[in-house]
Amino acid sequence: MAVRHRVQINFFRPVTPSMKKEVAVARIILALWAFLSFGIPLLIWLAGLGDPTGLGESILTRSRFLGFPLHYWLVAQGATIGYVLLCKLYCVLWDRRITRHRQAWAKSGGR
Amino acid sequence: MSRILTRTSLILLGIVLVPEWALSSAGEEIYQIEQGFKLIPAIIMIALLGVYVGVGFLSKVSETSGYWVAGRGIGKFGNGAAIASDWMSAASFMGVAGLLYLKGWFGLGYIIGWTGGYVLLLTLLAAQIRRFGKYTIPEFLGDRYDSHVVRLIAASVTVIIAITYATAQFKGIGLICGWIFGMSYSTSVLFTAGVVCAYMLISGMSGVTRNQQIQYVVLISAFLIPLWFLIKKAGGSGVLPQLEYGSILSGLMEGKVASGTLPPEGIEELRKAYLPWGMGNIYQFVALVFTLMVGTAGLPHIMIRFYTVKNEDVARKSVLWGLFFIGLLYWSSPVYAAMGKFWNPMGGKAVADVIILSAPELAGLGIVFIGYLAAGAMAAGLSTVAGLLVAGASAMAHDWYATVFKPDCTDQQALFVGRVFTAVLCGVVILTALNPPALIAQIVAMAFAIAGNTIFPATVLAVWYSRANKYGALAGMLFGLVMTLMAMAGWIAQIPLFGPEGLLPATSSALIVCPLAFLINILVSNITDGRVSEGSAAKMDNILRKLHNLPGYVEEETNAVKSPYTH
Repeated sequence: MAVRHRVQINFFRPVTPSMKKEVAVARIILALWAFLSFGIPLLIWLAGLGDPTGLGESILTRSRFLGFPLHYWLVAQGATIGYVLLCKLYCVLWDRRITRHRQAWAKSGGR
Repeated sequence: MSRILTRTSLILLGIVLVPEWALSSAGEEIYQIEQGFKLIPAIIMIALLGVYVGVGFLSKVSETSGYWVAGRGIGKFGNGAAIASDWMSAASFMGVAGLLYLKGWFGLGYIIGWTGGYVLLLTLLAAQIRRFGKYTIPEFLGDRYDSHVVRLIAASVTVIIAITYATAQFKGIGLICGWIFGMSYSTSVLFTAGVVCAYMLISGMSGVTRNQQIQYVVLISAFLIPLWFLIKKAGGSGVLPQLEYGSILSGLMEGKVASGTLPPEGIEELRKAYLPWGMGNIYQFVALVFTLMVGTAGLPHIMIRFYTVKNEDVARKSVLWGLFFIGLLYWSSPVYAAMGKFWNPMGGKAVADVIILSAPELAGLGIVFIGYLAAGAMAAGLSTVAGLLVAGASAMAHDWYATVFKPDCTDQQALFVGRVFTAVLCGVVILTALNPPALIAQIVAMAFAIAGNTIFPATVLAVWYSRANKYGALAGMLFGLVMTLMAMAGWIAQIPLFGPEGLLPATSSALIVCPLAFLINILVSNITDGRVSEGSAAKMDNILRKLHNLPGYVEEETNAVKSPYTH
């Protein structure tokens, strides 16, 4: 067998067109995931820095949303509902960008 | 006659909980559970156990020949329900509401940690693991890094995780059996072990997946139904409790509870619980969330789920459905916690532990429903234990015995070894469950730290970084494992650095250790790049082609034994 070049795979430097698309989709989802997971707590923290008791009372804890204190809703339901939607978005984007691309590729005899 | 026993209820839990119970008994009568043998719940629970075993037995008989075909034919709903059922243990069924009751807003970190991890799993690993398409996570790592040592370390980590995690399940199931049949804790742990072993032996592995779907339906319905009755009792309209408890929660922050308005010090307590940083600071919160997330994405018994689906498309969609099914439980747990605070704002751990079990009684749902709830909790525990023991035993039998120790063994020998290891694992779990070292919930959190610090970095780099080699993987995994174990030991020895207030809390160590494990793997891999032999590099490249659908993949010549353990 002929000597082959080593396979190059790096999440930050995707090579094949298909992998580029996969990574692009993953990046969108991961950015939103990071915002939900760490951005929201950080916002609550920043907003609450002014509370001298250190408990983090702020506009976010005083506002109400659907009857909830906003800071509670954002984490208990906002983030978790967001995760489910992110999974849905991932599946949709994947179908739209990658599955179709693959089908077209297979039809044109790429394999 | 059980009236008298009611007075002395909670003795079951009493060993651990007496101090709090004695201090806060006022107003606690509505969060009591009755002791003694309960005939109707017992009948219901045994009947449902019979259904699980029966289903397992029937699927075993009908599927022996086409086992793999059937196994790979599981669709997105089915696999989603199985993921959820695998995931939702007795601990999350009974424990999360209690945790939220005690920790208030800070406890929500467990909820986002345990759901957000699936997004990581989905985007980074699910499809690639399905494309690899073999049987266990240690096998995946061992093949990708072309190293038996990597495989053995991964197998050992899988076994450690299985034992710590299953211990918590045994405690949960033991609690339920003790409650229904009126046994002592030790007796019910042994009884539990009997039930689990009988279940695994009679139903076999092939029954597990189908059962998990039934168990999901039982456990989620048992969990959700009391909420509608409880919210009505608390003054809601009873349409959607998951939204209606918001106003009760807002009231709690102003000190409004069932018995009226609390005195100032009571309001202060509640504000401390529900304002963001009353129970922990931002670092502790983020560290906890991060650890639980990478731990979730690194749990071998969850990852193993993706091997059993039809194709990678179903693998992706089953994560979506699995997360939704898990969400149903986690959107509802806080309702129980808020209800608990509403009726009993000052209760301690005694109330927290029985919030779920006492809910049907409080909601006036009657004795039949109590049996159903117990069966639901039992289902949660059984399905998780089954998944864990399967993952642990297959790590030993398939990854150690049939691959490294005795590669030329027959299927039958591997199967036998698997059974022996299942029994051994069961025995170890019984021993730890009888003398639980410290708090069970925290030990479970440590299982996540182990998975997040060892398996997760190694797996992600295996998929997404082609230069990662066995030296890097070994260095990274050993570093992660040693740091996690050191943090655990330091936590038990009460060294402040590893305590809940420290920089590296044993239960949340991944925020620091996991990125370092990534870094070490990358650095060492780059330094040792030249030492990887041609043959080894070719093998690794071949796996990578398969993972990423690259052209040029060559089917391996393998005569490895098929693991009969994955499902």
